[in-house]
Amino acid sequence: MDTIIYIIIQLGVVLLIAPLINGVIKKVKALSQKRKGAPLLQMYFDLYKLMKKSSVVSDVSSWIYKATPYIVFGTAIAAALLVPVSTTILSSISIPGDFIMLVSIFALGRFFMMAAALDTASTFGGMGSSREAMISSLIEPSMMVSLFAIGIIAQTTSLPLIMLKVQTMAFPLVHPVYMMVGLALLIIIIAETARIPVDDPSTHLELTMVHEAMILEYSGRHLALMEYAASVKQLVLITLFVNILMPHDQWIGAGIAAIGLSLLIYLFKVIFMALVIAVFEVNTVKFKLFSIPNLAALAFILAFLGILQFFILGGNHV
Amino acid sequence: MSDFAAVSDLAVGSKILETLSVLILLSAFLLMANKRINSYIKSFRLQSFLIALTAGIMGIRSLFNEGRWDILIVCVLIIALKVILIPARLSKTYANVRYKVEKDFIWNIPILILVCCGLVVFSYFTLAGVEGISGESSNLQLVNSVSVIWIGLFFMISRKKAIGQIIGFLVIENGLYITAMLVTHGMPFIVDLGIFIDLLTFVMIMGLITFRLNDQFDSIDTDQLKNLKG
Repeated sequence: MDTIIYIIIQLGVVLLIAPLINGVIKKVKALSQKRKGAPLLQMYFDLYKLMKKSSVVSDVSSWIYKATPYIVFGTAIAAALLVPVSTTILSSISIPGDFIMLVSIFALGRFFMMAAALDTASTFGGMGSSREAMISSLIEPSMMVSLFAIGIIAQTTSLPLIMLKVQTMAFPLVHPVYMMVGLALLIIIIAETARIPVDDPSTHLELTMVHEAMILEYSGRHLALMEYAASVKQLVLITLFVNILMPHDQWIGAGIAAIGLSLLIYLFKVIFMALVIAVFEVNTVKFKLFSIPNLAALAFILAFLGILQFFILGGNHV
Repeated sequence: MSDFAAVSDLAVGSKILETLSVLILLSAFLLMANKRINSYIKSFRLQSFLIALTAGIMGIRSLFNEGRWDILIVCVLIIALKVILIPARLSKTYANVRYKVEKDFIWNIPILILVCCGLVVFSYFTLAGVEGISGESSNLQLVNSVSVIWIGLFFMISRKKAIGQIIGFLVIENGLYITAMLVTHGMPFIVDLGIFIDLLTFVMIMGLITFRLNDQFDSIDTDQLKNLKG
């Protein structure tokens, strides 16, 4: 019974605040350009409006096109269940699966997104999915290596157990291994969520769009599901980052009030990360497509150096 | 007083030095990933600032433990020379040469970074056999700072333009300096001064040579030195 309540809390929190993160990032970008910007809750209004509309489906497309939004949204929810938002309290969910499964779930969603973009035979869809295939095949190894680096230290591949292990440390963020892995994860978050050096989320210019090109054919309810899934995926990655590198649950006891407090601190941490991402995005320009391997190489090397530092430290330092 | 010294020893202890040594290694990687000469200079400035920070922390510690001022003076000297004077002089040299094609590395950047990663592995394996550095944090600091020397050397041979090679030399020097500092926890003051004066002379001379190269060949590409010019 408790498990069900915890799952509801976990999913509810993630689904509720995922669009807010997009709102915060957009607001910071608007303020940096001396604009007022859309309200913080704009994405909720958009999703509500899109949900009410019927969707137009091309009559040459197959079942993949219609099934993809539900599959992508389903993978986003599955990923959200694997990454606990608040460790000590919610780690009792114990859903079988670890970070290898997390990466595979993301890959499944991405595969269907690329297949659906090819399905309508629009030129932009094919272009977007070929670009996405390139970026994801470059970024995925770094994601695996950086998660393995954390896994080697914690001697487990399960995410809740890793998060419990991290809480025994004083400041994971300044530890040599975690610092390297954290920087790698930051690059990975930015690349995976289609942020600016890799992809520009706010344009519909055919030369630059990657993620937008893939969901260009969708409308109405399907588009709402795709966008919601993208924001949930972004929040899951940010959760992974903040809960591994800035653990907070060791200072909080148990009980109902503790859950509330823990979730509140979690919200602050996530908004802080959104601010960091927004500032990063404001201060950089979009790379050309063939510069992305440089970024991916940097992320991979940072993660690899993290593992290396762990072995230089003797392999039992943490 | 002793209480404060104990606290500062804890906070300012090897944990922060470890982190700083990792950041210095990271700044060397950042330098290797840079494409433009202005970003080399910025990255070098960042690395020198991190070294000055390390020196400052060590200086504060030695001031409270042994009452020595000299490492703090060295910290100020590093900031004056390596963070302000030498980068400014390099920027001035670069602004004054006529021929400005930016891309000057021999291989593409991912390969250069992978080779640097191999250099870190190499220095780990060479240093693992040395006796007497079994301590975990000293091992880490030593491997990281020796890696900075290797990366500086590799940076020097992977860049074709004279300014890139000057920066490579300065990174080697940074690596040597941080290695010496982390091993000895403060060299004799006269040695530090000698190093700084050497460095300043080097930058002056290399700046002049870059001007000469530019005058003679209309380029600062050192490959041009293969051609005979009367």
